[in-house]
Amino acid sequence: MAVEATPLLEVRDISLSFGGLRCLNELDLVVNEGEIVSVIGPNGAGKTTLFNVITGVYPPDEGEILLEGRSVLGVDPHQIARRGVARTFQTLRLFLNMTVKENVMAAAYGHTKAGVLRSVLRTPGMRREEREIEGLAEERLGFFGQRLVGYRWNQPAYSLSYANRRRLEIARATAANPQLLLLDEPAAGMNPVETHEMTELIGRLREEGGYTILVIEHDMHVVEGISDRVVALDHGVKIAEGTFEQVATDPRVVEAYLGTSAAERT
Amino acid sequence: MAEQPRIGVDEWVAQAEERRARTVAARLGDLLDRVPPALRLLAIALPLALYPVFVDSEYLMQVGIDTLIFVLLALGLNVAVGWVGLLDLGFVAFFGLGAYLYTALASEYAGRHWDAQFAIPLIAVVVGVTGFVLGLTSKRLLGDYLAIVTLFFLQIYLVILINSSFTRGPNGISSVLPLEFFGKQVTSLDGYFYVSLVVFVVVVAVLYLINQSRTGRAWRALREDELAAELMTMPVDRLKLMAFAFGAGVAGVAGAIFAPIQGAVFPANFDIVLLITVYAMVVLGGAGSLLGVTVGAVLINASLEALRSPEDASWLFYGVLVVTLLVMLRPWWRGPAVIAATIAFGVVAHEAAGQVRASLVGGTSFGEARIDHLVDTWVLLPENVVTPDGLPTGALGRLAYIGFIAAVLGLTLVRSSLWRTVGLVPVLYLAACVWENLLVAQPAVARFVLIGAMLVALMAFRPQGLFGKQRVEIV
Repeated sequence: MAVEATPLLEVRDISLSFGGLRCLNELDLVVNEGEIVSVIGPNGAGKTTLFNVITGVYPPDEGEILLEGRSVLGVDPHQIARRGVARTFQTLRLFLNMTVKENVMAAAYGHTKAGVLRSVLRTPGMRREEREIEGLAEERLGFFGQRLVGYRWNQPAYSLSYANRRRLEIARATAANPQLLLLDEPAAGMNPVETHEMTELIGRLREEGGYTILVIEHDMHVVEGISDRVVALDHGVKIAEGTFEQVATDPRVVEAYLGTSAAERT
Repeated sequence: MAEQPRIGVDEWVAQAEERRARTVAARLGDLLDRVPPALRLLAIALPLALYPVFVDSEYLMQVGIDTLIFVLLALGLNVAVGWVGLLDLGFVAFFGLGAYLYTALASEYAGRHWDAQFAIPLIAVVVGVTGFVLGLTSKRLLGDYLAIVTLFFLQIYLVILINSSFTRGPNGISSVLPLEFFGKQVTSLDGYFYVSLVVFVVVVAVLYLINQSRTGRAWRALREDELAAELMTMPVDRLKLMAFAFGAGVAGVAGAIFAPIQGAVFPANFDIVLLITVYAMVVLGGAGSLLGVTVGAVLINASLEALRSPEDASWLFYGVLVVTLLVMLRPWWRGPAVIAATIAFGVVAHEAAGQVRASLVGGTSFGEARIDHLVDTWVLLPENVVTPDGLPTGALGRLAYIGFIAAVLGLTLVRSSLWRTVGLVPVLYLAACVWENLLVAQPAVARFVLIGAMLVALMAFRPQGLFGKQRVEIV
């Protein structure tokens, strides 16, 4: 995968502690435009915390985060999102009591304009914008085949199955028109067929949507299938980086996952 | 997507339309859903417009206007509480602010008489801005903290009203001038009713349109999940402030109509009792639903008014009891059986008490309705239940009250559904005793007992409110 090496996201020397617990320790990470980068690591390694720092949920204690060369430190999370970072959540945070379509339409808030006055007057511009984001939502939901279309549009999000909720989270994130898509364990809880599907989908997201993707994933088949580059974390420290093969055979990664003795045996 | 037929093809989903149940009720529901919202609003407003035509009594007109003011308050509160999920306990302060602002713009005390077409919009904006400023606290405060701080705001506001010389303290200002549109004064109750109705229609339309826009969607999203909303490009803080401002603006307009109707303003008009009543309306009708909070406000205000007269109150009390029993108890024959058993129990108890001491049953009910005379034959009513100054001596009533509370608590511990139904008999009997001996003579207390009972029943059987949508919180 020959990719032009323009860095979209640069994470430099990020550290973050909660009380005495160091979650991220002088972490560096670069994601280039058009890349798919996987973050792996055992539970508690700091992967989701990294996502939270990038999206502005937690300000880092030290370090710098640049998006297209501009710092995002101190910027409100919704502003960071408007500058092109959208994410999904490992623990699924859908707007459960809104319909499937509304979930996606809501995320278009950042790139729509109709204010309250125009909404009350139903100006032609406002109506057009509403039609546009409705079309956008239908298109983004159509990305998943027939799973989230038709009568599903007007169903509440809580009525969806677990796997469909994961898909809806992705559709919602893409409706924010991001450049960088952060996927937090997109294949968690899915069966082997669905996991395989998700692998293809992530590839299609880049091809058809043009997104740069940073993904946290535990399923090594998925990681192997999608990644241009893999970054392994443990205890908030980057312990390996490179292609899937390089990282998967790195003794420190094996040690982090399986313990010291297993690493010695290989 | 034709080149990838296997991904996402789901025949079960594709056939969903054919599998939908086609009952009459479902078809009717679909049909109702297709009625355009403007027509629905018209269907509510038009019959209301006929109200003054058919109602002659001044009292009933006054009740109608009060109800519309309450509806406006409930609609305003619904923005912050129902749509955005902010617990705003300072809400009625905005109502008071609107009323006092109108007084400042149009009263003999202020020496001005602004036309309402200028005064009302100005008040809406000023109160809205005040709401915005108060809402600034919501930026840092969540949930319980916000509730406490806004409640403080209401208290501070009341303290200022009561102590400041400008507002004339607890005596209020009693020279508020009537609404005047383009030089024409609104003088009759009918006129005020129509003004309130027009304001109601405008407010409902505006709120509906906002709720159907991207702003409303964002409000609902942030109620569902604040963090997710923020990360999906929605400016959560600003949206909350907007909700505060809109709710406050509606309350301000309600206040601006209320002041000239009453012709005076007093700090006591805007106290916590009003706050609780408006909350009860929103909760009863279903927070988040415009139709719901409207119906909730009408129902609660109508019940409160009905409770003013002991006759109506008794009908309401026994009516609600009987209907609740018939609707809630399953299988169907248990409801009538419980009612019959309660009366039989009462007759026996009445007879036994009469044998022991005749004065125990010698009294008559304070209530005037036929139903009160009916219950005289089986509810224990000691002689001299009413003192010459109209208050019940009520020793038996108080005993029955304690017994009633104990019995209800005991009943919650019973597990078997059969024994629980049997246990209802003495509980109902004690309830009737409490009612006849104590509450029927004290409408002020009975009103709030009734609201409490309505909310308790609602919590048990329809927690989302009458027209509210059931919210699902569990993943």
